[in-house]
Amino acid sequence: MTRLRWPRRRFLAATLLAPLASACSGRRGGARRDPGGVLTVSTEQQASWVRNFNPLLAPGNIRWPTRAGIYEPLFIYDTMGGKVVPWLSSGFTWGPDKRTLHCTLRPGVTWSDGQPFTADDVVFTFEILQRHKALDLFGVWSFLDDVRATGPDIVVFSLNKQYVPGLVYLGHQPIVPRHVWRDVPDPVTFTNERPVATGPFTEITVFQNQVYELGRNPRYWQPGKPALRGLRFPAYPGNDQATLALLHGEVDWAGNFVPDVERIFVARDPAHHHYWFPLVGGTVMLYPNAARAPLSDERVRKAISMSIDRALLVKVAMYGYTRAADATGLHDGYARFRSPEAAAAGDWITHDMDRAGKLLDEAGYPRRADGLRASAEGTPLTLDVHVVTGWSDWIRAAQIIAQGLRTLGVTSAARAYDFSAFFEKLQKGAFDLSLGWSSDEPTPYHFYRDLMGTATLRPLGEPAARNWHRFGSEEADVLLAAFEGAADEREEMRLSHALERLFATRAPVIPLFPNPSWAAFNTRHFEGFPSAQDPYAKPSPYSAPECLLVLTRLTPRGA
Amino acid sequence: MRYLLRQLGLYILAAWASLTLNFIVPRLAPGDPASAMFARYKGQLQPEALAALREAFGFTGGPLHEQYAAYLAHLFRGDLGVSVAYFPAKVTDVLAMGLGWTALLTGSSVVVAFALGSLLGVIAAWRRGGAFDATLPPLLVFLGAFPYFWLAMMLLYGFGFTLDVLPLRHAYADTLAPSMSFSFVASVVEHLLLPATSIVLASVGGWMLSMRSSMIGVLAEDYVTMAHAKGLSPLRIMFHYAARNALLPNVTGFGMALGFVLGGSLLTEIVFSYPGQGYLLVQAVRSQDYPLMQGIFLTITMAVLAANFLVDVLYVWLDPRTRGR
Repeated sequence: MTRLRWPRRRFLAATLLAPLASACSGRRGGARRDPGGVLTVSTEQQASWVRNFNPLLAPGNIRWPTRAGIYEPLFIYDTMGGKVVPWLSSGFTWGPDKRTLHCTLRPGVTWSDGQPFTADDVVFTFEILQRHKALDLFGVWSFLDDVRATGPDIVVFSLNKQYVPGLVYLGHQPIVPRHVWRDVPDPVTFTNERPVATGPFTEITVFQNQVYELGRNPRYWQPGKPALRGLRFPAYPGNDQATLALLHGEVDWAGNFVPDVERIFVARDPAHHHYWFPLVGGTVMLYPNAARAPLSDERVRKAISMSIDRALLVKVAMYGYTRAADATGLHDGYARFRSPEAAAAGDWITHDMDRAGKLLDEAGYPRRADGLRASAEGTPLTLDVHVVTGWSDWIRAAQIIAQGLRTLGVTSAARAYDFSAFFEKLQKGAFDLSLGWSSDEPTPYHFYRDLMGTATLRPLGEPAARNWHRFGSEEADVLLAAFEGAADEREEMRLSHALERLFATRAPVIPLFPNPSWAAFNTRHFEGFPSAQDPYAKPSPYSAPECLLVLTRLTPRGA
Repeated sequence: MRYLLRQLGLYILAAWASLTLNFIVPRLAPGDPASAMFARYKGQLQPEALAALREAFGFTGGPLHEQYAAYLAHLFRGDLGVSVAYFPAKVTDVLAMGLGWTALLTGSSVVVAFALGSLLGVIAAWRRGGAFDATLPPLLVFLGAFPYFWLAMMLLYGFGFTLDVLPLRHAYADTLAPSMSFSFVASVVEHLLLPATSIVLASVGGWMLSMRSSMIGVLAEDYVTMAHAKGLSPLRIMFHYAARNALLPNVTGFGMALGFVLGGSLLTEIVFSYPGQGYLLVQAVRSQDYPLMQGIFLTITMAVLAANFLVDVLYVWLDPRTRGR
């Protein structure tokens, strides 16, 4: 499939595979040929490859390394360390009014064709985004006024308002060479078959429908890097095929979900088979539609939350790979922002049927003689949980939630829809309760803006890109506006804590569990993968551009 | 000849009807491609991008009849548009990727299953009640009744993973570049064995049973008894007298099966990572890729019609009664 991007989709076969694989002797664990320094990566799931290396076209069908190995951004946000790593830019400073950003470019960087990399390339890249709205995926021109080169190695971004959280979008934009791209008639449909770039791997050495390989950039700016000779990408159409290849020892770095990973993967070759699933893959939420009658009442939302047995959810739906969410909803990537007081203030996150029942009584939904809850007019309280067909972990989670609600006396069932139908209902607000993912950015700003801000609020029936549950708080708006101009990290911390407290008081959505970032490694031929002991980057190969940190760190074993 | 011409007219009408359905059906599905794509990014894209994406894919709408006229006009020029899931690749290019492999895999398995099944059916009916007839049909039906997914996974696991004698995936070895060389063709055949066997195992029972039952009916006919009485050789009676007539219903089924070849065997292609058309269809549906869906349905429709026409021609040859009219 296309990149990512359903890391958690797994069909019946995944469960089928587990006992089979563990029954196998494992004698062929490392039987594959010597990779000769070429790292085999499994990220996108596709049946066959289409040649497209256009880094500006994220939603098109571009090959994964385009934004994470071929082209490079100005800087990279390191999720695990919570810091910005300078990349093509050696440093940046905000102007005194926080409305200009000065970037100094790294000296000595050249494009893979030998031309020097300059500030003109950066300005040109942002000009393309301005001209072609479809390429401006992060909407940078909604807060940019102007991008100018004030010297061969200085770029100045002028903003139309204070917008510190926009930094990551400017910094993560892959930069393209002006001398090549100025002759491209339509960058939106350009497939860029022979990329000229600054990244560690720029040469396309093999391209076939089933496999392609990249070779290293002979002019890479980091001396002696990359240590890998190349990257190799076989096409695996689904999670089961990717898992099988991983168990067979054909893949060195995989981003797919592996069921019961200790038993079926690690146990086959404990010396070389490793995995690391840090909880930085976004928080999975239960969205209660605040624009519909009972769910606009925060007591009802809290009661629903208290009816959920999150410990069971984590164990049964998620193979114990995660933990129950707390009342801030923040995942581990935001750990430094998390306020323990705010988390403790949200007492509606613990499993407590008695208190949940009392809250529903107070909200006006007492139990009738038949055990079901109904309003004073006699309308029974019915809340179905929407989920996506085939996303088996989410389906199990939805069933556990519906079961909890039924115990509470609410009529409820898990309803699985095909992805497009599910997403259409979610966007238009045609649901009572729906499972869903949440925004994932360096600071909690976007996370809370999309959950509580009024800026993304849309009426029922009109598609909303975010804030599907239609909850808006003016109190949050004030904090979010202050966040946009926050002077330093201490200020951001203070505002984040205030947003967390607001979230924990109002329960706009019901956090379930943080999602892991899936990553499995085979260290037979390569070493230097991120791990809990050496957490230098988010380990999933599908998290561009952070993978650049990994690709430039890995070395062939014994080299 | 008149018979064939009349059939041809019928096919043109059927083609138009299916083209129209092909246009309407995807548009009845909920959702739109831009939001499907947006969702794929799970919170990594900003809301502002959604509108820009809709614009880029040309999903700004327009009245349905105009869309329909444009669709037909483009179709006649062989222009199937640009795929959304594989943006900005052309639908024709995307189809070209999978079509050949699907035709090879499903085509060869359907032909083998049909030929083998019919032959086994003839033999089973000829010796009905014998040891062969008592064991093989139940066994094959049993295999066919297995959940196909499971059967394919077991084959893959047994021969590919545990014994390691056949490749686990793909249509040819990753280390070879496509060419007409012996090693490449050998690699294609090696990679074809496991998936084709799984399809043949799952479908041969059906062909055998239908052949067997129609053969038994034919064997009771007077002209077969007559042939026996004339002292003709058993082989001649079995194939020229009985099997040729008993084959007719199976040929109809064969035409249908051949037509659906281009639909691909979705599950086979997924289990064996075979780069065919069936997987493309799933991808197209998932991404609300109307142009690609239409392209795939178009090839399937055309293949079904062509296969049926072929069957009509075969009928004219097999059954003299159709020639008279």
